[in-house]
Amino acid sequence: MTIFFGEAMLAVRESRDRNVKTFHRQGAMFIVVMILISAVFLCGRLSYIMLCKADHYGVMAEQLHERERAIKAKRGVLYDRNGTVIAGNISVSTISVIHSQIKEPDKVISVLSEELGIDEAEVRKRVEKVSSREKVKSNVSKEISDKIREYNLAGVMVDEDYKRYYPYSSLASHVIGFTGADNQGIIGLEVTYDSYLQGTDGAILTLTTAGGIEIPNAAEDRLEPVSGDGLILSLDVNIQQYAEQAALKIMEQKSAKSVSIIMMNPQNGEIYAMVSVPEFDLNDPFKLNNKTDIDASSAEGMKLLNNMWRNPCISDTYEPGSTFKIITSAAALEEGVVSLNDTFSCPGYITVEDRKIRCHKAGGHGGENFVQGIMNSCNPVFITVGLRLGVDNFYKYLNKFEVLKKTGVDLPGEAATIMHKKENVGAVELATISFGQSFQLTPLRLMTSVSAIINGGRSITPHFGIAITDGDTGSIKKIEYKNNDSGIVTEKTSETMRYLLEAVVAEGTGKKAFIEGYHVAAKTGTSEKLPRRNNKYIASCLGFAPADNPQVMALVMIDEPQGIYYGGTIAAPVIAELFDNILPYRDIKKY
Amino acid sequence: MARAVTERAKRARKQEKLRSHNYYDYSLLILVMFIVAFGLVMIYSSSSYTAQTSSRYNNDAAFFLKRQAACAIIGIITMLVISKINYRLLLRRMPVIRITYASFLYIVACILQIVVLFAGVNLNGAKRWLKIGPLQLQPSEITKVAVIVFTAYIIYLAPRMMDTARGYIKVMIFMAVPIALVGKENMSTAIVLFLVATGVCFVASRRKLFYVGAFVAGTLLGGLYIILGAGFRAERINIWLNVETHEMGFQILQGLYAIASGGLFGTGLGESMQKLGFIPESYNDMIFSIVCEELGLCGAIIVVLLFIMLLWRIFTVAINAPDLFGSLLCVGVLAHIAVQVIINIAVVTNSIPSTGIPLPFISYGGTSVVILLAEMGMVLSVSNQIKGY
Repeated sequence: MTIFFGEAMLAVRESRDRNVKTFHRQGAMFIVVMILISAVFLCGRLSYIMLCKADHYGVMAEQLHERERAIKAKRGVLYDRNGTVIAGNISVSTISVIHSQIKEPDKVISVLSEELGIDEAEVRKRVEKVSSREKVKSNVSKEISDKIREYNLAGVMVDEDYKRYYPYSSLASHVIGFTGADNQGIIGLEVTYDSYLQGTDGAILTLTTAGGIEIPNAAEDRLEPVSGDGLILSLDVNIQQYAEQAALKIMEQKSAKSVSIIMMNPQNGEIYAMVSVPEFDLNDPFKLNNKTDIDASSAEGMKLLNNMWRNPCISDTYEPGSTFKIITSAAALEEGVVSLNDTFSCPGYITVEDRKIRCHKAGGHGGENFVQGIMNSCNPVFITVGLRLGVDNFYKYLNKFEVLKKTGVDLPGEAATIMHKKENVGAVELATISFGQSFQLTPLRLMTSVSAIINGGRSITPHFGIAITDGDTGSIKKIEYKNNDSGIVTEKTSETMRYLLEAVVAEGTGKKAFIEGYHVAAKTGTSEKLPRRNNKYIASCLGFAPADNPQVMALVMIDEPQGIYYGGTIAAPVIAELFDNILPYRDIKKY
Repeated sequence: MARAVTERAKRARKQEKLRSHNYYDYSLLILVMFIVAFGLVMIYSSSSYTAQTSSRYNNDAAFFLKRQAACAIIGIITMLVISKINYRLLLRRMPVIRITYASFLYIVACILQIVVLFAGVNLNGAKRWLKIGPLQLQPSEITKVAVIVFTAYIIYLAPRMMDTARGYIKVMIFMAVPIALVGKENMSTAIVLFLVATGVCFVASRRKLFYVGAFVAGTLLGGLYIILGAGFRAERINIWLNVETHEMGFQILQGLYAIASGGLFGTGLGESMQKLGFIPESYNDMIFSIVCEELGLCGAIIVVLLFIMLLWRIFTVAINAPDLFGSLLCVGVLAHIAVQVIINIAVVTNSIPSTGIPLPFISYGGTSVVILLAEMGMVLSVSNQIKGY
């Protein structure tokens, strides 16, 4: 370099007395100096960018180049109370092709179309499309994807993935719910416990070109996925299956629109079974379950799907009818406005203000005491009792029994009770409320309030989730519920209520709920659906056993039965059938 | 005796002739060849991905390399041929039409510029190319040589004229025609032409102060023009100042990513990430950012030094030239290369607002490399006429 410039400087000196004039030389020199100054400035600028700004721009550039390929985390498993898996994962694969890496397009096309059962033309379209990565088929079973992998075809990618799988397909479908393509709960428990179940997706970080094509041989960063936590449920697969069969049987017998059965432990709120037939297939939740030709993706189909997914036990409200008389009785006993020996007279109707309200028995029950009144489910008796309580007291107990509150069950979409505003309630409204009409609540709400009345006065939170199991360590963490508000009713009232409801089964409208060897208590109900006079009814029966120490409570609701629609006639036998099997199964001793 | 004298005289003349023709700037020749070869390597490195992945280029990784290499070979042959022709030929009158070659070149350049305005191929929204059969030609490159040669020629005709401001204005009136014709479609090249012509005049003039004044005035006027002028020029300033946030700053920002990724020694030849489609046409005006990414700060500074050495060689030829014309020719070439290198690197490093000027010898562009090599041929030709050492 020195030699190079030295020679040049020599040339400058020598050129002095040559043709080119000094001022020319100076001018040229001036220009060169300006160029040198610019060059120094630019080199400085380069150093600044490359050394000082390297982190700033370098990080931005890296973010631009890095492509995150997610590794799906295993979704947490749902277990029933006995440890049976009711929602798990199966390994599936996604088959895709990378155009630029394919070497034998014809072989790829024939193999893929044969193994995946797709039309050759369809595969050809994917293979010949010039794109960074073209998905051919997802959710391919492990056997098929393993087979494809063995062909070792250049340009064919087999990516493993997990898919939610429900081994009992339609069992407790409304409760368990299902997940979407992005591993997100869509309905049911999959939504409530989504944050536990989801886990954390891992990632493979690779470098890509601007077109998103991964650069081969580039260093990969791997972030391992964290499996989702498991969930132990209070559901019992056997009880659920048995209840579902019972529900299906009665639905068929009575050609009913639907039948719901809820079974729970009235002592702590653990739900053993929640059935709403017809159920749907959780492994194919987008298929309508009522053999219509309507396309599930159309607007109408979507509406039908939403209806199918709806859980009537918690999302639909109904007029409870006579089963609500339990609440009225408990309130009246608690307030002391009635005693078991109070006598009433039922001529078949009762006049409240200017309104004549009929009893369900046309000729009337005649003279009866309160015990007989509840056994007969006599409307005038409960209207009288309700009016004795008065609006203020009645509402005091509605609030105390939490009838107006949501139950807080761990399912999404719980409906609230629809009740008159207190200031709008006159004698007529109070009378209708007293025997369970003119307002609506969910079946689960009714059960929950009745539970508190008959379990000695402790309020409970109905629930499915019992414990969370850690996805990696397997350690179990119990889920806590608030169910320690005691004194909802006194122990005495609770005991009286248990006695009264057992009497209903022993000699009253709930006779058909009777089974040998157990003290079953129950209250039946028949409600006419709105609008009235359409001859559409809901027959229901709420029962529990053993009457002296309730361990299992069940509610059966038959929606729109054909023919006989009395709860005592068609719903009570279902209670008997359920208890006859479930009580021994739950190891509850006969007397 | 007489015979012996004539013998001696003859020998002396022969020796003189030998000596005078002996000088040929081989360092310059080797430098040029080296830079061209380096350019080819960088073009292959920066273009192979684009060429390989696009059917427009037959998915041939060497598509750009092949075309540029062909042009470089044509250019090198042109350079060697021109270097052996006495540059004073330009001052001779042509047969038949009886005008000098220098004037002829000027007229041809102007005609080509006019033709391209009407019959040019529209690429990327600007009519800059002429299509003659399979060949694509950028007339503005030819105009660059014409401006250098013709400026030197006018000054050669009346060197004293340059000592007044009027002389400069006279030269610029001649130059206004090609500059305006180029500026219609390609403002940045017009600026290069203007700077080159001004540089030549500056060197030829005795009154340097005038130019300094003119430069200051010009900068101020230019600044005002940009700020108050057309919206798109103001836009460019905006992009320049907010390159990271302005949506139009994409290309420059991508270039900055590339430069910053280079570090001290670069990611290695061929290892650029930014050429993988992030920098559009990375083998063109933005090629220096790929050089920075792959070869690092050291590589970038070596490239800058290579250009400085090249310019220095041209400078030594200029000041040793046997006559004013040859000297001014060299100054013109020097100014041309220097202006393009500085503007290009300044744009790539976002030191000035963005404008499309290729990096001499390295950026992809057939016409550009042929013309630049022809210019180097002229400089070598001048060096070849330097007598006695």
